[in-house]
Amino acid sequence: MIKLSPRLSQKISYLLLFLATVLAIVPGLLIISIIIAKGKDVFFAWDFLTLMPINGMLDGGIFPAIIGTLLLIIITIFLSLPIGIGAAIYLNEYAKDNLLTRMIKLSIVNLAGVPSIVYGLFGLGIFVMYLKLGVSIIAGVLTLSVMELPVIITTSRSALKSVPYLFREASLSLGVSRWDTIKYIVLPNAIPGILTGVILSIARIAGETAPLLFTAVAFYTPYLPHSIYDQVMILPYHLYITATQIPNIGKDRIFATAFMLLMIVLTMNFIAIIIRIYFRKNRKW
Amino acid sequence: MVNKIKVKNLSCYYNKQCVLNSLNINILQHEILSIIGPANSGKTTFLRTLNRMNDLNVNYSRKGEIYLDNNNIFFMNMESLRKRIGMLFEMPIPLPMSIYDNIVYAPKLLNIVSNKSDQDAMVEKVLKNVSLWNEVKDRLNSSAMKISGGQQQRLCIARILAINPEVILFDEPCSGLDPISTAKVEESMIRLKQKYTIVLVTNNVKQASRVSDKTAFFLMGKLIEINETGKLFISPQKKQTGDYITGRFG
Repeated sequence: MIKLSPRLSQKISYLLLFLATVLAIVPGLLIISIIIAKGKDVFFAWDFLTLMPINGMLDGGIFPAIIGTLLLIIITIFLSLPIGIGAAIYLNEYAKDNLLTRMIKLSIVNLAGVPSIVYGLFGLGIFVMYLKLGVSIIAGVLTLSVMELPVIITTSRSALKSVPYLFREASLSLGVSRWDTIKYIVLPNAIPGILTGVILSIARIAGETAPLLFTAVAFYTPYLPHSIYDQVMILPYHLYITATQIPNIGKDRIFATAFMLLMIVLTMNFIAIIIRIYFRKNRKW
Repeated sequence: MVNKIKVKNLSCYYNKQCVLNSLNINILQHEILSIIGPANSGKTTFLRTLNRMNDLNVNYSRKGEIYLDNNNIFFMNMESLRKRIGMLFEMPIPLPMSIYDNIVYAPKLLNIVSNKSDQDAMVEKVLKNVSLWNEVKDRLNSSAMKISGGQQQRLCIARILAINPEVILFDEPCSGLDPISTAKVEESMIRLKQKYTIVLVTNNVKQASRVSDKTAFFLMGKLIEINETGKLFISPQKKQTGDYITGRFG
């Protein structure tokens, strides 16, 4: 065994740790810069973003796919956020710490790790076939919500936990009820954490294809959805089919689609960061 | 004098382990009872049982009865009980809001005050009661987290006064404070006794002798001795009491 001087081993470990960091960052930067470089011409032609696809998607734009993705995200947020936060409040503030509660908490953590294709098949079985909703926005939204709920509950619970227990005690000791304590003390201080976590997790599902594959997406629709029972096009799936199923399509069109998807995800992450900065500045403890 | 609180055969347990053993105590109206004793003697458990803060702890269980004005507190609604028995904690815990809102927070929710001018009057009155008004009157809207520890503790007392309780429990309220802040808190306590009944848990034997009318000595979950403060400190009946107050242990 060679004995290295402390100075040298310090330098070597520094170098290795730095290399690890570079290796972690470089692929991400490469992906983003390649997509931007190859997609920017079509992307910034704007027509691509605002037109319907024509000629078997060889021409025209990706407008319906953008609308479809945004619709699914927004309706999913409105559906899963209240339910998720409600469940988190119940589990964290009211539920007694017994075997049943502990099992529920454990299964929620595990549900968050179930592969998304499993949720897709579940949605196909329950919403599309059993409830006869058909392949539709509503079936897709319900599937996404079921998939998102464990994540929302987990992040909301950790945000609720980060509010010091002493604040609750101080409020209760003044004769204030448990619900008012939650409403006026716990929630206002937990909301920034909840929102940040939720937006980040929603940004993640914006790119999901598997849960929507059997429940909501259409290969191609010549019109925008009229109701929640219509099928929609979505960006990730559109990206997949243009890249694999349609020969002779311009590569720059595929990259521009990826660019758009990237923009949606990055915008949502950016909003989450803004919210966090805003609330952290106003935090009073 | 009227008995404000009667404790009958109270025993408390954490995880089935007894921390307070068949306690019997009567607390008179408008007196300051201080409870002294070494760590783990059950003082704080007793206090947190009085306003049922311990009911939130799943490992906690109890036997026995406590009467407030002849009503068993364990049959009362928890919110109305805590409105009648206020509690000051060991560490000052201002709520994360302004000084003003800290005081009006509970009264607003409990419908004690409604309009703004009543609220203003109440804030001024309770802050004057704890001699904090002159120190904070120009920054009532700044965060309560930004004032000093001693000021925070007095703000917490003011917050309790605002809900107008009958009994106030003090749980080692000065353990984190400097001597001058301590003196100010003690001063408020003596002034408060005119209107309220006070139970003070303290690690500071001298503090008990300075402010209280009656002193109880707890050891290992048992009430060893209770007497008027003067008598207990001059001629304790039990050897352990004497040893503790003269500093031979604890």
